[in-house]
Amino acid sequence: MTVLDHDWYPAEVPPNVHLGERSWLYSSFSFVHHRSERDPSVRIGADSGVYVGSRFDLGPQGEVEIGRYCAVAGAIFASNARIVIGDYAFISHTVAFADSFAAVPPDARRAPDVAGARGSPRDIWLGADVWIGAHAVILGGAKIGNGAVIGAGAVLGTEVPDYAIVAGNPARIVGWVPPNAAGRSADRRTGAGD
Amino acid sequence: MKGSARAGSGDAQRGADTRVRSDVWDESPLPSNVHVGESVVFERTRQTLARFRSTRNPGLLLGDGVRVYHGTSFGVEPGGMVEIGDGSILAGAVFMCADRITVGRSVVMSYNVTIADCDFHPLDPDLRRRDAVANAPQGDQRERPPLITAPVVVEDGAWIGIGAIVLKGVRIGSRARIGAGAVVTADVPPGATLAGNPGRLQARGDLG
Repeated sequence: MTVLDHDWYPAEVPPNVHLGERSWLYSSFSFVHHRSERDPSVRIGADSGVYVGSRFDLGPQGEVEIGRYCAVAGAIFASNARIVIGDYAFISHTVAFADSFAAVPPDARRAPDVAGARGSPRDIWLGADVWIGAHAVILGGAKIGNGAVIGAGAVLGTEVPDYAIVAGNPARIVGWVPPNAAGRSADRRTGAGD
Repeated sequence: MKGSARAGSGDAQRGADTRVRSDVWDESPLPSNVHVGESVVFERTRQTLARFRSTRNPGLLLGDGVRVYHGTSFGVEPGGMVEIGDGSILAGAVFMCADRITVGRSVVMSYNVTIADCDFHPLDPDLRRRDAVANAPQGDQRERPPLITAPVVVEDGAWIGIGAIVLKGVRIGSRARIGAGAVVTADVPPGATLAGNPGRLQARGDLG
C-alpha cells in the first residue's frame, strides 16, 4: 500500500498504480473514481510529474501508461480502454482523454440509459515529444504521432501524423513543426513499451 | 423528499489518518431549499455549493437516482433555481444560474461542462463599468444593473459532451447530442447532433 508523503487527501494510492523512480503524483485524490482491475492500471514513468487536477476515472479494463519525463498539468483520464502517452509529453491543464465524447465516471456507466448506448471503448496512443494545449479533448481512436502539437481547445479522435500541428474543433492540421538542426529520427518513438 | 445523499465514494473513505475528509468533502447539512430525491449520489465538495445563494424554495432540486460527481458546482443567484430530473448524471458540470435551468430525466453531462442562463454582466460598456464598480470588493452590489436572463432547458435523454458550453435561452431537445467542446448558443432540435466551435448541426451522429 502506498501513501504519498505529501498527500493532503486521506487515502492510499491503489495497489495496481505503479509510480516510477523520481516521479511525482500530486494526490491520491486523483483515484476517487478509479475502478480499474488491471495491473498495472496506471503506470507513471520515471521522472514524470502528474500535477493538481489530474484524475484517473478508469473503468475495470482501463489502463494508462505514461512515459518518462512527462508533465501532466491536470488531465482527466476517463476510459475503459488503454491510453498510452510517450516520453517527454507536455499535457496542459483541463485536458481530457476519454473513450466517449460524453464520458462519465465508471460507477455511472452502469446506469441503464448510458450503458446500452455506448460502443466498445477505443484506445488512445500518443508518441514521444507530444505537446497538448489546455482544454483539448482527445477521444478514443486518437493516434498522435511523435512531436505533434495539439492546440488549446482542440477536439480530435483521429490519427495525427508525426510533427503535425493541429487545432480547432473539429481539429485540423494547421501546420508542421519545422525540422531542427539535429534532424529527426524514427527511433525517438519510445512511447509504447520502452 | 427523503435525503439519501452521500459524500464521496466508499473507496475515498478508507485509510483515514491525521488528514481529514472534511477538508475536501462538504459534510455539513444541506440548505433547506436543496431538495434531494431517493438513491442520489451527491459527491459534495466544499466548492459544490460555495456559490449557491438561491432564496427560492426549492433553489436546487435533484430527482431520484441523480448522480452528481465532484467537479460539479451550482452557482445560483438569489432568484435562481436549478432542477435536475430523475436518473441524470453530472460528471462535472458548472451551473451558473440567475433564473432557471431545467434538466430533464436521464441526461448525461460530461466533464468540464458549463451551463449558464445569463451573461451576468450588461453588454453596454457604460453599464458594465457601473457593474464593475458595484462588484468591487468594497462595492455595493445593490447598485448592480439588472441582469438579463433567459432560462435554459435540457430535455430528457440529451447528452452533453466534454467541455461543452451551453448559453442563455437555449433549449436542447430530447436525445440530442452535443459534441465535446461545442459552444451552444441556439436551440438544438430533438434527436439532433451539434458539434464543433462554432457549433454546427451534423448530418451524422458519430461524435467519438
